[in-house]
Amino acid sequence: MSPPLLVWLAGGVLLLGAGFLTTVLPRRRSRERERRVAWSAARAAIDSAEVSRDATTERVPEAERLLTRAELIAAERGGPTAARAAADYARRADQLWRGHG
Amino acid sequence: MRRRFARHLNLLRWALLGVAIVVLVVFLLAQRQSVDVSYGQSPAPSARIEEGAAGELGDATVPSTDEMTALVTADPVVRLPGAIARWDEQRVRAAIGGHDTRILVAPPGLDEAERKRVRKVRNATVRVIGTEVSGGAYQASADTLPGWRAQFATGDVTDQLVALIAKLRGVPAPPDRDDLRWREPSGPELAAVVGDLRSDGLHVGAGATLTRVPENAARAAFSDDAWYVVLPGQPYGEPLPRYGPALTRLAPDRPIVLMYGGWIEYHGPAEADFADLAGASFYAQFEGRLSRYDYPQQNVLGAYLDRVTDIRYAGLFDRPLPYRPFDPLRVALPALPWIFAACVAAFLVLSVRSLRRSLGGPGDPRWGGTPARLAGLTALAVEVSLLTDARSNPALTRSIGKLQAARAALDDGLPEPHVRTLLDDAAAELDDTALVVGIPSYRPDHYLQGRLS
Repeated sequence: MSPPLLVWLAGGVLLLGAGFLTTVLPRRRSRERERRVAWSAARAAIDSAEVSRDATTERVPEAERLLTRAELIAAERGGPTAARAAADYARRADQLWRGHG
Repeated sequence: MRRRFARHLNLLRWALLGVAIVVLVVFLLAQRQSVDVSYGQSPAPSARIEEGAAGELGDATVPSTDEMTALVTADPVVRLPGAIARWDEQRVRAAIGGHDTRILVAPPGLDEAERKRVRKVRNATVRVIGTEVSGGAYQASADTLPGWRAQFATGDVTDQLVALIAKLRGVPAPPDRDDLRWREPSGPELAAVVGDLRSDGLHVGAGATLTRVPENAARAAFSDDAWYVVLPGQPYGEPLPRYGPALTRLAPDRPIVLMYGGWIEYHGPAEADFADLAGASFYAQFEGRLSRYDYPQQNVLGAYLDRVTDIRYAGLFDRPLPYRPFDPLRVALPALPWIFAACVAAFLVLSVRSLRRSLGGPGDPRWGGTPARLAGLTALAVEVSLLTDARSNPALTRSIGKLQAARAALDDGLPEPHVRTLLDDAAAELDDTALVVGIPSYRPDHYLQGRLS
């Protein structure tokens, strides 16, 4: 193969590769970050709810069910949506306990 | 300033990508390859010509098959009126060698029905139509330039007859012999020819079937300065006047086309390279038609000149290239790959730069006071923890949980807004704690202000 032809081929492949990488890498990075942020928030919410539960003297079945569900979701891991759902359940449980506390 | 520079770099990056794509497209569109590898587009016509349209059918006709059969029965060699084929009786007789071999000679230019009548004469061992020699399942034709010359200049079919008869008898054929003889043209002959040529470039001998040289074909084949000498078919057994060398001596730089009946010779510039090639390619292709039919010399010459044009346009001989105007694309084509490569390289460098910027995570100097706030709130939580009781403990514990989460997030390099949200939550819990404890100076806002001032 002649050098110019190689230049065209290699250049085309490099362009495609660069375009692919500049699109995929930041997107993957931001999704990973979003996932970790969501789980960080979810874990914090679950911790808070646990503290509220321990501080409450009476039992609140509704809140316990919500927290159990949140902990189950957290145990199974998953994407940002799962994390947000777990955080939501935990927050609602937290509020229920605080209302009774 | 820095941000504007970065934006310009980004614009430059996409501009480079655009240039690279444009260059690629130009390169692809400039790829014009075809299977046609002609030196130029030969202007010789290539359209098919209907049979009979070129005047190849003569006036001569033949009797009915029965009559011809009777003639052949009566005489071993029958020459029908208009027949032109001649041969060396002695050699043919030697080839026959006493067997009963009957030869029927028909004129050229017969149409399909007439040829069929001739072929149906069963008792004729050998049929000669024009100069086409056939017999049994065989047909004999010349395949060398001397053979074609003898056949078309003088109607000599001796070699073909000898070969065919030997084949029919099943004996090996004797080698071909070139019996054609030449003579130098006499002074008055040459003077007459040269006089005609000098006046209009064309000499037509008495009896030649040509009125004028086909103009377009002649101009495409040679320039207008060629000389044409057209003589009728020459009598068999007599030497041919050798005009070629004599005329070449008179005008060395002039293409000279000599025609003896259906035989065409070229003399003049590049004769050694050109004449045999043109003659061989022309007669190899048209030998069959020329021998069977009775073409006017004008049409034979036109076909020959077309062949010459094709050969010259095939690029075998020196002929100046047509003028090619300046074409910027053709000049730029060799540089295009390197322009493309440069664009790609610059685009890659800028892409890597932008990738690194967009992936830049922790250690970013724009984080401001978030770690300090975390430290302050943590200190506040530690201080308040000394004063809490059962009522305020849950809020404090929750705030410590939030602070731990914020610290983990900070350590993991999670984005600042998330850490700030966690700190806000922790601050709200601490605020509750301070309210429950009843010490306003432990409210986070107060406390942090006091510490920072």
